[in-house]
Amino acid sequence: MNKDSDKTVHVDGPDNQSPRDKNFGYSTTTELPRKGVIGATPIQQRACLEIIGFGEVNKVIELGEGAVVIGRMPECGIQLSSTNVSRRHARVVFRNEEYHIEDLESTNGTYVNGIKVAKCVLRNNDQIDIGGVKMLFTEQKILDKT
Amino acid sequence: MMPAGEVKPLVTFWGTRGSISTPGRTTEKYGGNTACVTVRYRETCIILDAGTGIRNLGIELAEECKKAGNQLSLHLFLSHTHWDHIQGLPFFQPVYLKGTKLTIYGSHQKEDFLAAILKGQTDSEYFPVGMATFCAGMSVQEISQEVIHLGEVTIDWQEQVYHPGGSVRYRLHVNGKKIVYATDVELNRMFHPDQGSQAHKALAQDYLDFISNADLLIADGQYTEQEYTSKVGWGHSSIDLLLNTAYQAQVKQLAVFHHDPQHSDTFLDALWMKKRSRYHSAYKKMDVFWAREGLTLAI
Repeated sequence: MNKDSDKTVHVDGPDNQSPRDKNFGYSTTTELPRKGVIGATPIQQRACLEIIGFGEVNKVIELGEGAVVIGRMPECGIQLSSTNVSRRHARVVFRNEEYHIEDLESTNGTYVNGIKVAKCVLRNNDQIDIGGVKMLFTEQKILDKT
Repeated sequence: MMPAGEVKPLVTFWGTRGSISTPGRTTEKYGGNTACVTVRYRETCIILDAGTGIRNLGIELAEECKKAGNQLSLHLFLSHTHWDHIQGLPFFQPVYLKGTKLTIYGSHQKEDFLAAILKGQTDSEYFPVGMATFCAGMSVQEISQEVIHLGEVTIDWQEQVYHPGGSVRYRLHVNGKKIVYATDVELNRMFHPDQGSQAHKALAQDYLDFISNADLLIADGQYTEQEYTSKVGWGHSSIDLLLNTAYQAQVKQLAVFHHDPQHSDTFLDALWMKKRSRYHSAYKKMDVFWAREGLTLAI
């Protein structure tokens, strides 16, 4: 593969046929800048937790690719003040292009759509309950235009 | 909160779909992979069925194995050998890892030996790599003893006749809890009011006794009542009958399993919302949910 192969793509097409190709029916290719063809293809995954109950309404937290702990302690990435929330209650991690929630042996449990879970892969519009604080998980894949 | 140091058995759903895998946007929540569930307790790892869901389990186990630098010792219990319960086995990474020990258990009531059936699916007509290339130390056991002891887990089982070719249900006793895996059975025939013979009633009673007071029942609930009318004899149960039977047997938590390939996430969500409240608010509460890929419960 030549060193320019990552910069160009080869496209078939009758307009690009040479006279020889027209005579013999060969297809041929032409070079176009790769960026012009697939410049916007990279996908960025964005996910949020929206707190939808218990005095912390409408707080939206954007999730990154690092693990984030949810709990009552000040050092938690997502701090919830409710006394029903354990000091370190649950953790959200990004693994294999998916978000997972893991209960950290909390007192009152971690619930996803009403099911008490030890761990769960999160899907769009899952409702999470952490000690009575309800959160909505949403995610989307968008074109990375950076 | 569990007492400090207490370890609970973990049940994970790797594949919840019945009949055939159903990838796509409309099934990403409950999952498109076919039957595979693990029960892990301390060092014991028990796998229930080897549908396509076992592929993702294999990836995770191989990663664990690499990180810990140890070798895997796994026990796979097959309910039966229909495709949706064995098809993932050749894609299960640990079988290609030297040092893995895999014991496969299944019914002895097959016309052919269980080992021959499993080998058959990797014949060159179906699959490019034969079972001979598996590096793992594998043994296939047609279960005959009534009870199997694996570490701190005890397993008993019963044959199920109401499925074409038969199937096996398993009950795991672990840490004082009962986890029952009873898929691919047509309860509608087992509990049909016209089936009045003593032998038939005994089979129904055996089922009720087996699932009685289960802390978790993972059970076949493939069809709605309406759908079932055109699927009689196909070997699967209707959801309402499953729910009522489990409630009658005082099951504490019911995972409806083996979702029909035609049932989308939206459809299953709607069913769940419609059905669960009756048992959730009942005097003797039974938690009902539709099993979902990627979900782990501590029992």
